[in-house]
Amino acid sequence: MDLQIFFQTIINGLFTGGIYALVAIGLTMIYGVMLILNFAHGEFLMLGMYVAYFAFTLAGIDPYLAAPIAALLIFALGALIQSALVQRVLDAHPLNQIILLLGVSTLIIGLAQFFLTAEARSIHVSYETAVITFAGLRFSVPRMIAFFSAMVIAVALYLFLQLTKTGKAIRAVSQSRDASTLMGINVKFIYLLTFGIGAAVTAVGGVLLTPNYKMIPTVGQGFGVIAFVVVVLGTMGNFIGAFLGGLIIGVVEAFAGFIFGGDVKIIASMLVFILILLLKPAGLFGRKRT
Amino acid sequence: MSTTPTSQLSESKPVVQKRMSRLRTFFLDWDLSQLALSLALLALLALAPLFVRSPYYMGILILTAMYMFIGISWNIVAGFAGQLLIAQIIFVATGAYTAIVLNNTFGVTPWIGILIAGLTAAVLGYGVALITLRYGLKADYFALFTIALMVTMKTIFLKWDFVGGAIGMGLRLSNPTWQKMIFRAKEPYLYIALALAVIGVIIQYLIYRSKMGKYFMAIREDESAAAALGVNTSLYKTLAVVIGAALAGIGGGFYVMYVTFVEPPQVFDLGLNVEIVMAGPIIGGLGSLAGPVLGALVNKPLAELIRGFLAGGRSGTSLIVYGSFLILAIVFMPRGLAGVFHTLYLKLTRRMRQDSQGGM
Repeated sequence: MDLQIFFQTIINGLFTGGIYALVAIGLTMIYGVMLILNFAHGEFLMLGMYVAYFAFTLAGIDPYLAAPIAALLIFALGALIQSALVQRVLDAHPLNQIILLLGVSTLIIGLAQFFLTAEARSIHVSYETAVITFAGLRFSVPRMIAFFSAMVIAVALYLFLQLTKTGKAIRAVSQSRDASTLMGINVKFIYLLTFGIGAAVTAVGGVLLTPNYKMIPTVGQGFGVIAFVVVVLGTMGNFIGAFLGGLIIGVVEAFAGFIFGGDVKIIASMLVFILILLLKPAGLFGRKRT
Repeated sequence: MSTTPTSQLSESKPVVQKRMSRLRTFFLDWDLSQLALSLALLALLALAPLFVRSPYYMGILILTAMYMFIGISWNIVAGFAGQLLIAQIIFVATGAYTAIVLNNTFGVTPWIGILIAGLTAAVLGYGVALITLRYGLKADYFALFTIALMVTMKTIFLKWDFVGGAIGMGLRLSNPTWQKMIFRAKEPYLYIALALAVIGVIIQYLIYRSKMGKYFMAIREDESAAAALGVNTSLYKTLAVVIGAALAGIGGGFYVMYVTFVEPPQVFDLGLNVEIVMAGPIIGGLGSLAGPVLGALVNKPLAELIRGFLAGGRSGTSLIVYGSFLILAIVFMPRGLAGVFHTLYLKLTRRMRQDSQGGM
């Protein structure tokens, strides 16, 4: 593998990893605050993609400009799912939580198949094959936009969590629900907000994928599994861990894809996953939480 | 779970009441009542061919009986022992592949093949238990591990030509003979599935009543407390996973003999997992004795009914139905149908007990 291909693979990996990071941040926030494994997470990404698709085909809105629409819609959906369903099982046996969210996931996929059919859809924009060449390396324009948008959103969300009062409340709840309640934080509202934000950033991740990714109702499942890999790698509930983990898994997958071929690259993530689960289930960042 | 006090029955009774009282003791035991209810429902299913002629409805009944058996396998490991073995489908898939490879490639009769399928799945289950115990994977991490295993196995099976790779494997069909477990009519399949379900119901009951079953439930309620009380939690968690896997493997073996086809995306799939493994026990009441039977009776027939009702099998309907089943069951009926029946039963038996005391 010569140096140029090496760097090209890293770039491709980072570009995919940026989306993984965004999706995983949503998942890790939900886990960090509520200790819920959101098995319906990938479905928010799928819905984000379809929002971008319909914004483009029905209203002619550029897919990247559809991101705020998707974020708002999926935020509302996430908040609804949290308050109507997840809130009821917060203290239940983990099995009940997982079953409920698997049910939500199955239902969303089913509804998508029913109303949108299982056929693959994609949107075509003028810049979809545009490429910038720099020092012999090729940078796909849509994927570059996606990567940098994901980075900006991740940093903005991080600053929100660190600096604003609401962000601090979210972090407080993730440390102790009871103590936060005593401090006068409306825990129910924080849960709703966290689930909504977690779903919304994931949907934005989906939107950013649309210009060069085919969508089918089950497209989210693969991303959901990858998001779990990333979240465990970066320590469950750790924001920065999920961010870096996303980039790492993106690069690992890119190399595995280059060496073994595209359809087997998932094995690489799974091996990383299984090894991390077995050898260091606390992840790269020990016990620290967001 | 059901500690119905029988002590209220006074011991000194007129002789005429003796037979009645035996029956009463039987009904006052909720576990026995659940066993009787399950077996009675299975007996009713066995009579169904007298009335049901259409192959379509027979097919639904066969799948119902099969889902009962596979549901029992998951009820033991997840319901009794509380293990978050989410992707139980890997054992069903392993069983299905074992049975079809033995039949197609080695010419082994499915009657034995299905048992070997159970054995293979049990070995996989033992491996899973060994690895996860060795590295102390619990709860959420264990759940994620089983899903990672499912995705990995799917990718491996897609590339593994010996088991048909991405094309999958179709049952090599010969002339219908019972030696090959191939029948022209649907009835024999129904009776095999029902026989499996009866065996499953009895095994489940025996485990529930045994010391092992009590240990399973102690682990489910509080693992560290169980360990502190001297329960060998590693041993019993392994046993729960291995027993669950073995039964699921046998179920998978029958599944492939009936469906006659298997391919990786079909069987290593969380959607199928929800349909054939989880929905039944959850609707019926996870951890209860009657749950898998009651749940499967609602699960498949109702899903088919709704599917027919909603635009004649447009794609996605079955996912909508199963997803809603899970959500509704968890939110409105966390103890399932068996829980509802148990509440009714307690009311009824209270009256029975009062009657027996008043009659003195």
